[in-house]
Amino acid sequence: MVLDKKIGIYICSGCGIGNCLDVTKLSQAASTENTLICKIHKALCSPEGFEIIKKDIEKEQLSGICVAACSPREKTELFNFRDHIQVERINIRELAAWIGEPGEENTQVAAEDYLRMGITKLKTTSIPEPYIEDEICNDILVVGGGVSGVTAAIEGAKAGYTICLIEKENDLGGWANKLYKQIPFKAPYDQLKEPLVTELIAEAENNKFIRIYKSTAILQIDGHPGRFEIAIKHVKTEKIVVGAIVAAMGWKPYNAKALSQLGYGTSDKVLTNLEFETLIKGNPKQRLPGTILFIQCAGSRDKDHLPYCSSYCCGTSLKQTKYIRESNPDSSVYIVYKDIRTPGMYEEFYKEVQRDDRVFFTKGDVEKVETQSEKLKVIIKNTLLGDDISIMADMIILATGMTPATTADLNLSYRLGKGLPELKYEFSDSHFICFPYETRRTGIYAAGALRAPMDISACIEDAGGAMLKAIQCIEATKRGEAVHPRAGDKSYPVLFMDRCTDCKRCTEECPFGMYDETEKGTPLPNPARCRRCGICMGSCPERVISFADFSINSVSAMIKSVSMPDEFEEKLRVLAFVCENDAYPALEMAARKGLKWSPFIRIIPVRCIGSINKVWISDALSCGYDGILQIGCKPGDDYQCHYIQGSELTQKRGENLQETLQTMMLEPERIKTVFVEITDYHKIPVIFEEYMNEIEAIGPNPFKSM
Amino acid sequence: MTVRNKKPILVIGGGISGITAAVEIAEVGHEVILIEKEAYLGGHVVKMNNYFPKLCPPACGLEINFQRIRQNTRIEVMVSTELVALSGERGDFKASLRTTPLYVKNTCTACRKCVDVCPEVRPDDFNYGFGSTKAIYLPHDMAFPMKYSIDDRYCKKESCNKCVEICEYEAIDLFAKEEMKEVEVSAVILATGWENYNAGLLDKLHYNEFKNVVTNVEFERLLAPGGPGKGSLLRPSDQKEPKDIVFVQCAGSRDENHLPYCSAVCCPASLKHALTCQERYPGSKIRIFYIDLRVTGRNEDFLKRVEENKNIELVKGKVASIEEIPDSKNLRIEAENTMKSKKIRVETELVVLATGIVPNQPAIEMKTNQYNFMSGEQKSGVYAIACGKKPMDVSSSVKDATAAALKTIQTIR
Amino acid sequence: MIEVLPDIQFKKELRRVSKAPLNECIQCGTCSVVCSLAPDEKPFPRKEMIWAGWGMKEKLIANPDVWLCYQCGDCSTYCPRGVKPSEVLAGVRQITYRQYARPRFLGEIMSHPKWLPVALLIPVVIISVILKIAGTLSIPEGPVNYSKFFPHAWLNVSFTLLTFFSYGLAYSGLKKFWKDIKMQFPDFQMKKSYFNSFRESLIAIFSHSRFGKCSSQKSRRVSHFLVFYGFVLLLFVTAYAIVATITHHYPLGFLNPFKIAGNVAGLMLIAGLGMMIINRLFNRKNFGSSNYSDWLLLVSLFFLTVSGLVVEMSRLLNWGSAYHLYFLHLVCVWFVIIYLPYTKFGHLIYRTLAMMIATSIGRN
Repeated sequence: MVLDKKIGIYICSGCGIGNCLDVTKLSQAASTENTLICKIHKALCSPEGFEIIKKDIEKEQLSGICVAACSPREKTELFNFRDHIQVERINIRELAAWIGEPGEENTQVAAEDYLRMGITKLKTTSIPEPYIEDEICNDILVVGGGVSGVTAAIEGAKAGYTICLIEKENDLGGWANKLYKQIPFKAPYDQLKEPLVTELIAEAENNKFIRIYKSTAILQIDGHPGRFEIAIKHVKTEKIVVGAIVAAMGWKPYNAKALSQLGYGTSDKVLTNLEFETLIKGNPKQRLPGTILFIQCAGSRDKDHLPYCSSYCCGTSLKQTKYIRESNPDSSVYIVYKDIRTPGMYEEFYKEVQRDDRVFFTKGDVEKVETQSEKLKVIIKNTLLGDDISIMADMIILATGMTPATTADLNLSYRLGKGLPELKYEFSDSHFICFPYETRRTGIYAAGALRAPMDISACIEDAGGAMLKAIQCIEATKRGEAVHPRAGDKSYPVLFMDRCTDCKRCTEECPFGMYDETEKGTPLPNPARCRRCGICMGSCPERVISFADFSINSVSAMIKSVSMPDEFEEKLRVLAFVCENDAYPALEMAARKGLKWSPFIRIIPVRCIGSINKVWISDALSCGYDGILQIGCKPGDDYQCHYIQGSELTQKRGENLQETLQTMMLEPERIKTVFVEITDYHKIPVIFEEYMNEIEAIGPNPFKSM
Repeated sequence: MTVRNKKPILVIGGGISGITAAVEIAEVGHEVILIEKEAYLGGHVVKMNNYFPKLCPPACGLEINFQRIRQNTRIEVMVSTELVALSGERGDFKASLRTTPLYVKNTCTACRKCVDVCPEVRPDDFNYGFGSTKAIYLPHDMAFPMKYSIDDRYCKKESCNKCVEICEYEAIDLFAKEEMKEVEVSAVILATGWENYNAGLLDKLHYNEFKNVVTNVEFERLLAPGGPGKGSLLRPSDQKEPKDIVFVQCAGSRDENHLPYCSAVCCPASLKHALTCQERYPGSKIRIFYIDLRVTGRNEDFLKRVEENKNIELVKGKVASIEEIPDSKNLRIEAENTMKSKKIRVETELVVLATGIVPNQPAIEMKTNQYNFMSGEQKSGVYAIACGKKPMDVSSSVKDATAAALKTIQTIR
Repeated sequence: MIEVLPDIQFKKELRRVSKAPLNECIQCGTCSVVCSLAPDEKPFPRKEMIWAGWGMKEKLIANPDVWLCYQCGDCSTYCPRGVKPSEVLAGVRQITYRQYARPRFLGEIMSHPKWLPVALLIPVVIISVILKIAGTLSIPEGPVNYSKFFPHAWLNVSFTLLTFFSYGLAYSGLKKFWKDIKMQFPDFQMKKSYFNSFRESLIAIFSHSRFGKCSSQKSRRVSHFLVFYGFVLLLFVTAYAIVATITHHYPLGFLNPFKIAGNVAGLMLIAGLGMMIINRLFNRKNFGSSNYSDWLLLVSLFFLTVSGLVVEMSRLLNWGSAYHLYFLHLVCVWFVIIYLPYTKFGHLIYRTLAMMIATSIGRN
């Protein structure tokens, strides 16, 4: 395979590369690597420069080219040959010319090493053939027939997809169905609206693309994007097949039994907001009691109950105030709050409710609720009135919060669990601000209050987005491509099962549950679930897993292709694995800013530092590298690692690596893991310098002489 | 799943919402044209130092999005381009786009040689006027596209010509003209974003007169590593690091005399600023004056972190007047602590006004509400999203963009 | 601890009288900050706004802070919710006049335009009765001589007695007002003696120093100054005139210094009142809206002044309608002087008393 490839290498001398490096010598070094063509140009990205490459490809039938020039993040569209030939972008600009001193020998050597590494990579990898599942199903499952689920179904159907909408109750509509009225979404804000969900249900029921299954439970979900096989039960068991899933199972109210200090349970006149809504809906004409008091944030924003804010309760209490006032013009309503949260245009609705003379607002802490004959005495401290107050109420409504439904009801047969991974407070939310639909289960997207506390209008927006991601996943799977963040990546893990010892580290460490298990306990990959991060590749002690364009062998070969100074030269060789997502752009920015670092460092970008396999470390050390640096994205509670736990795993694997080093009789400090943010470019030279100093202090790798 | 209509979808606005809409549509498999009036993508988010609640840098999320754009051949990005006219109907729109010349071609390699020889200077609008750049400039460090632009209000063109002479890549064309392009598209997404409310209109807060009174978006730049302080928070009057900062919430918001609505994001933004400041300058003292603290959902944790920080004080009461102390250029703010029923006067070194969101609109007829926010569905096939529609944070904007992407796809299937 | 029971009637009345939106207050405190007269400790009018919203009549009615307000309108201008705190306080003051009016019915009839005919009828009837008893209820012949119509002795004595009678009736209400204020401050600690407080208050009043503090509309100080001193001057002139009627040096010659002073006072009053009326009519943005008791006082003072000058003119020019105008003038005098404790003019007393107490407890 290696010998068959016709490789052209093109070296650019523009952007100051030619000022720092001797490109002629570089081209000579490249020519020794079995390349067919080796050319130099002053601006490969210019129309003339590019023309040369194009002509060569056609004339010489090249199977691959190396463009030794600027960063792969620049001129990407230009050098994109759409998988017709292999393209390897060798960054001699940022990684050598810009960070080194002009004319310096070590910088020249670094550039030559990068050339060799790039050519080696080209030779040892191939253009990935996408893994395209046969029998990809275009249907989409929506679990949960509340307002989010119904909206998702309608939006998906309008895009031409058949939707299976499953609801465990007898009716569609979920909690939204229990509403008497709804807050207005747009101006004027003076009239409450009929609940939107009724129209939505009608629309869904009349849509021939939506198959509705009521009173149905999910027994099991198997499979992968493109082909999920679902066992459902409605009276009898049935099997359906879909391509992607939207989980919209909604929420359940916080159990107010825990709020006995607010009178719940001790008096039947203390209700939750949901109970009150049900009461009104059951009999809208009833005459409500004269004095009603709302306690906002009842069991919310409270470390002893729900620490978070449920977003919908302020608006709901205002709405229910209107119910009360419209039903009984002589009633008085008190609202005791911590903050009134009516963001955006809801402020208009707040004003509307305020206009009523018999509605009284104050900030305050409810200290006690006592029953006094037929009334409830509420004692409130820290008010805006300047005094502590007591109010005699006929009824108290607790604005209680929402907790998510159990995603375990999905009964995913994933080895990592039946439900969706939880982020915080049991919500299956994404930790990425820029990517809210990450559920860590490819092809399954959470929508609505299942994902995060939100009100109806937010649920409706969320549902549309989740449905799009589901559709997108099916379409990408048809093309054999990954979804976010490596969208468009056609590679996938290829397993050489001969060496597999069933240790199942890949299965456990994959953040996305890509691997299931066979009955014998062997890892079973589902490529369509894969995000192509390579964490499994890094986890496997037997080096079973590789990607066509990023493999154990190719990186080992790259490591070995680097020139190694002998023990007498007193020159270090340090290998730095750098994560492509945050760390690599930070490095490039440092170079762009004119910062410098040691020319003894050899940088290999990786998809995630979680993809670093132990063998590369041992290969590097036995080659004579004096140290190995792993630079990745931040782990921890506020992780920035784009694959959730890649960085964290690297930290954990550090312990195993210590063993490797000990067996080789090497100092543990030779391996260091550092985390940076994308904006930390100013830290890069400092990191490198500190590390080089540490390695110098330890001394060169004794393996150099071997 | 037949695609009936092969026309691309037009996304107007290259902020986080527009970018998201474009990549999401393209990754389903459809062609997209993304236009942006500035020379760079990223809108307001690219100017942010970090965003809540993780306090991570937006450059990270934007970089992934730019990667997705770079390797997705279905997306055509046109910067320095605006919508001039739109006609037609769902599935069959004709859009007129005008590209204003940047005078630098795509062959620019951002090598920077032109900057060194350029003799003209302009105010740095990326940093809201704090500092200046040359007339030929890169919008910001991680500009996408990574290409220089020329500000023709300051450039002396052929009479100077120094940049042209020095450019090795023949990338500068001082004679470039405005270009008009007609495109046929099946659907349109309006992601035109927002501007900050003009704080100069708040007369008792003296934003225009007092140097050390800044807005929240300006403060974002003061904190940013690429900002005027290069990562150090330096206050405008004397470039010293302020040890005492006051945040004024609802400055010109929830105010019948200014913006009657609530802009939703200013509370979490100020909490974010306070925490970021504290992390960088642990000895600093920060006070936030508010009416209601509006963080929802998990962002409540964020508020808890602020409450637990001894150096950050939260006071319920709006700052209604600011005076300047002549020599030090410090400021004296006055508010009523409404929970204690006490008027307090506080001397501080920097005041940050949490000003609100004013929606942008494209230059065509729009259906808007009384505050100029566009209706979500302008007509079948034309959808307004994110802050042009209603004030929302980044996560919600991304969500909204994704949902709108689906709506446009519905027009072609 | 307060047991809350909102007085909805009071709140509705306050809304009616002040015409202020009131309810949409979000308790931001901007009003307290922009008010240059509000003290730091428990400033006004933010707390008054929530008390008003909650119908807490007992907190508002005998609240001296309500009287420390000079209705400059700065708070209303800057209020982000447009709830007009200055007008709410003005409304509270209007209700206060009525609350403490003794006899109550006089307070009632001054509170609503529908009773204006009754309010006018009282002086018309009583003056007519006096004239009847004096035997002069007819238009005299010959050159205008007001004493032929309403003999000076009858006029001076009756009006003086009526004034004292009215004030005497009002006294019990004012005494209750004083007591009710003191009850607002259960741990009342005298920081200054009443005498000193009174002295300080008088100094502040005469110097118009507090007007000076209300920064935004400087013209208010000027207009009030003109009206105040115009009126004071007129009081002196009137006192002299009464003496002059006894010593038969009445009517005063045109060049009599007191006559000149009187006319100057009249002009001052017209200028000051004119400014006030124009501002309140055409510059509502900066001067706020005015309620019924504001207008009643302004208009009656204005008519008083104008009618006085007109009466003088009609005497000099021997107009046929002179005596009718004179009658009208006397009705105006009644409105302003005799009705004083029941109209906004009562602010002379109410505000002074409130300022005294506030100063005594150090709330200034």
